This record gives sequence, structure tokens and C-alpha cells, in this order.
Amino acid sequence: MLAGVADAERTGAPRMRLFRRKNKTPVTSAELHDAAVAKSAKKRIHVTPPEGVPISFARASLGSRVGAQLLDIAITYGTLIGLLILVFWMSSLNWTAVTTFFALMSFLIRIPYYILTELMWNGRTLGKRIVKIRVVSANGRRLEPHQVVVRNLMKEAEVLTPIGLFFSLSNTSGWGQLITGLWLMLTFAVPVFSRTSQRFGDMIAGTYVIENPRLQKTVELTDRTKYATQTFEFIPRHLDIYGRFELQSLEAILRQPAEPKRDSEIAATIAKKIGYIEKVAPSNSRAFLEAFYNAQRAHLEQRQLFGDRRDNKFYSAEAED
Amino acid sequence: MTQGASPSDLRSVRFRREREGGWSRLEALLIRAEKSGLTSLSFEEAQDLTATYRQTVNSLSVAREISLDQALLAYLENLTARAYLVIYAPQASIRHLFGKLIIYGIPQAFRRSIPAILISMGFMLLGGLIGYTLVMGDGSWYYTFVPGSLAGGRDPSSTRAALEATIYGTDDALLDSLGSFAAQLFSHNTAVAILMFSFGVFWAVPTIALMVYNGTVIGAFFAIFAKHGLGWDVFAWLSIHGVTELSAICIAAAGGLLLGQAVLLPGQLTRSDALRHQGRDATKLLILAAIMLVAAALIEGFLRQLVQSPGLRLTIGWGIGACWLAWLMLSGRGRRA
Repeated sequence: MLAGVADAERTGAPRMRLFRRKNKTPVTSAELHDAAVAKSAKKRIHVTPPEGVPISFARASLGSRVGAQLLDIAITYGTLIGLLILVFWMSSLNWTAVTTFFALMSFLIRIPYYILTELMWNGRTLGKRIVKIRVVSANGRRLEPHQVVVRNLMKEAEVLTPIGLFFSLSNTSGWGQLITGLWLMLTFAVPVFSRTSQRFGDMIAGTYVIENPRLQKTVELTDRTKYATQTFEFIPRHLDIYGRFELQSLEAILRQPAEPKRDSEIAATIAKKIGYIEKVAPSNSRAFLEAFYNAQRAHLEQRQLFGDRRDNKFYSAEAED
Repeated sequence: MTQGASPSDLRSVRFRREREGGWSRLEALLIRAEKSGLTSLSFEEAQDLTATYRQTVNSLSVAREISLDQALLAYLENLTARAYLVIYAPQASIRHLFGKLIIYGIPQAFRRSIPAILISMGFMLLGGLIGYTLVMGDGSWYYTFVPGSLAGGRDPSSTRAALEATIYGTDDALLDSLGSFAAQLFSHNTAVAILMFSFGVFWAVPTIALMVYNGTVIGAFFAIFAKHGLGWDVFAWLSIHGVTELSAICIAAAGGLLLGQAVLLPGQLTRSDALRHQGRDATKLLILAAIMLVAAALIEGFLRQLVQSPGLRLTIGWGIGACWLAWLMLSGRGRRA
């Protein structure tokens, strides 16, 4: 019944895609679901190491990248100014000599700092270490020195030069400031609109900036629910409704501590949807959910072994497309 | 059927139970390697690290097929990712990398790029000839070519004595400001070099134009001294740092030409692949140019006005040039970096 409705709603979708791939606003719930999945998939980047199994990384957010950059600027220039004060203090150098020193040192400290730190800590400057992001090679091999050098040489043209110009021109001409402002906005816009949030330097070097993967070990859910499974009984008709997406949403709920009110609501919704006739007592709803999870997972995994992947509850509509 | 497969019999659960030990071992090893470096592991542990890593990669691949446990998949994914980052980390030390770059990388890139370097030098010479002949014919051309900030009070209306003073000046105020002048010129030259290099992407046209223009500035500059019969002296004066500095700019421009070539004539590759390919040598040329510019700034700041005789100036300038050439032509032969 559901399949028929979804099918009717979805006819014409393939034809429309030919013309408007991006701006099509999702209409049906199936399309809303697809759009949500696509959006969360966009936040991840796939890299295939030599072992041939793709690994996905979370893309570093723009905020953390800007934060790391600002920290790095603070670190390099903080060191430089500290050094300058020290030199000024210790010796009786005149002002011109100090400015000379500043000009030479700021050139020497800038790019080499980024290159050396990223080489030393495998794609992490000090700023990146603090905000927990890092650079990886897009081709799945180790990060090569050449890549590090290229992406940081481009950083000079993309980030550091316009920032420097912006501040040095502040008291001379409005036009110069406008141009450097536009330049900065452009370099900022590139990673915002890039599908993989790469800046130009990343594109040329073939690198991504990602978040450090965090480990979170969890227990096997089915181990703790043996009792519940014996209490409730499900027949295949009950289990042919939902797909992987719904199963994993339920898993997320079951991994959180029990919340009687919410759990009984969910249990009621599920019982109604799958046509489970027996009454589920509110006090028993958590057990019902656990039992249903076990049965549904066993069912779906078995179907998957036979080559029948059910991504979500719209699977039957997709099969007929 | 449903009740037949009791959850504890689930294939994915059995799979997890069998392999969990390996994953925990990998996790423990990883945490140690991340904290105190790969070198802190013993030989057996390092072997175990790679072995358990391969097992885990394999587990991930299998789990994606047979398990619907989202948390398990995320755990395996992140464990593999962490291990990948530790195992495929750069293994050479900075010192080793730097040594390799100096001994093999840069000289070999230089030798591969000799045609491009000769071409960029050719364009500069061409510009120099144009500037020289035009200013020799009519001095007012000088103002067309030379920006005021670089002229430093040297223009066609200067007297012979004034010009001579700029070449052989020894007064203290001048010497005092030399350091800052060197820094200023250095940042000017670095800017020129970076422009020459990066604008090469635009079909090499801006690079060539800038090279010719820079040549005309030098040619015009040379001409006003030559008019007063100071040609030889100014040649010596320019030589002492100019050999290094102008070569550096030619080399940076040659890097730009390589990039332009990749865009103009990508051959069988796509343009972006060709850029990436040529970028390897081009970047090394840029690093070489940066090293030479730092050296030129030091020579300029401290040697130019301190060494007064033209003969000595020539010897030092061209001698340093010969040293550069010897390094670039002789180093790192017989082995590919």
C-alpha cells in the first residue's frame, strides 16, 4: 500500500533530474529522507588507503580551520614580536635595524613554520593540534613533503599576503583595502563552496583537512536483551516494514538511557506501523523496543546476506523503479 | 524463521566476538604510538601493529557487508582511520628530507629545467637590450621604465659625480640605511619572484611580460651609467649581488614558465594533472630561488658598499655565481631522488 503511494509520488523524478540536478526541492518524504542522507554524507570525505578499503573521515568544519589559522598566526607573530622585544632590549640597535630584522624574520618564520610543523607532526601545525584537525593526502598514500610544501606556499598567496596587505594598507587607501578585502573573501569562499571544502592550495596539493577520528567503543546491543527476545514474538510480516535507516535510528535510541515516556511513544508507533496486535504495556515498552531491535536486525542482516539490501522503509518502492 | 535466528547466533555478533581481541590490541598499540611515537614500540609490537591494522581493515570491509550495527561500524571506521594515520605517516626526519632536497631534489630539478631557465634568461636579456638601446638613444625613456621608488636618485639628469657616489659611496648615513634598504629590496625581489612564479599559470604570458619589463629596467639603469663612461664600474657594482639575485628571479620565472607550459601544452594529461606534474619541479625551482634571494640580500646588505674595487666586486659576484652553478650542475648525479 505504501509502495503504491510512494511510487506515484516519485514518478517523473528521474526525468526531472536530467534538467535540474541541484535545485530540485524535495517533495515526498522519501526524497526528504534522501536529501538528509546526502547532506550528512557530504560532511564526510572518502580516502582509499593501499589496502583498498575506503575509509571515511569527517570534514573539518570551516570554524575549526579558521580557528587553527588564527592560532597559528598568533603563535608565529607572538614568537616574532617576543624575539623582537628581546633583541631590542638586549642590544642598542636603532629602529631601522630592528625593522630590517622584522622584515627578514617574518619572511623566514612564516612559511617554514607551517611546512616544518606539518612535516613533523604528520599534517598538524600547532594550531591544528589544538583544535584537533589534520591534513591527509587525498590519494590514500602517506602525506608527501611535496604536498605539504605546495599547500603552504599557496597559503602565502591565499591567506597571509591578503591579511598582511589588509592591515598595512589600512591607513593609506580605501581602494587597496577594498581589493584585499575582496581577495580575502574569495579565498574564504572557495572552501565554503567546494564540495570537499578544499582551498586552492589543497586542490593543487591533493590534500583534505579532516577532523581527528575519535574512538568510542560500545557494547553489543543484542547481548543484553536476551530476556526481552523471549517475551515478544515477531513474524516476518512485522519485520518487512522497516529498513536499515529505521533500525539504526532505533539503535541510537536504545544506546541512550531509558526514558519511559519517549520509549512508550516509540513503542506504540512501531507496534501500530508493523501491525503488532498484542497490547504493549507502557512499563514494558523498553523491553519491546529491544526485542524488536533484535528481531529486526536479525531479519535485515539475513536479507542482506541474500543480496536484499533495504536502506530504508521505502526500499520496496525503489526496487520497482 | 525469525525466532530461529536467536540474536546471539547473529552472524555479525559472532563475527564481532571472534575479532574483538585484535581490535583492542590495535587500539592499545595505537594509543601508545600516538603518545610517544612509533619508535617507542618494540620490533614485535610494530609487527603486531601492522598485522592487527590489516585485520581491522579486513573487519571493516566485512562488517560493512554483514553488520547493521551502526556503532560498531563507526568504531571500526575510526579505528582504521586512526591506524591508517599512524602507519602511513611520513617516516623521514626533517633533516633527512632537507638533505635530500639540497643534494638531489633541487639540483636534479634544476638540470631538468635548464631549457626553461635559458628561455627566461633570454627574455630578460631581450628586455635589457631594448631598455639599453632606447635610453642610449633618448634619455627620457628612462622615466617610462624605472619606477621612482627604485631609482634612488639615479636618473639621466644626475651628474657623473653623483652617479659615481652611488657606486662608490662610503658615507656613514648611507651605510647605516643599507641594512634596511637591503630588507626593502629583498621583500621587493621576493614579491617579484613570487609574482613571476604564480602568474605563470596564466599561460605564462604575465611571466614573460614581467621578465621583459624587468630586463628593460636593468638595461635603462645600465644605460645612464654607460653614457657617463661608468659602464664597467656599474657592471661590477651590479655583479656582486646581481649575479645571484637576477639568476634567482630567472629561476623563479622558469618555474612560472613550467606552470604555463603545463596549461598551454598538457599533452596526454588533463590540464590539472599536468599542472600537478610540472608543479613538482616548479616548486623546487621556487625554493631554490628563495634560498638564492636570501643569500643575495645578505650579500647586498653587507658586501656591496664595503667592497670598493671593481675587480674584487666582479670576482666575488661571479665567483659566488660559479659556486651556485657548481652545486646545481654537479650535485646529486647518478641517483634519482
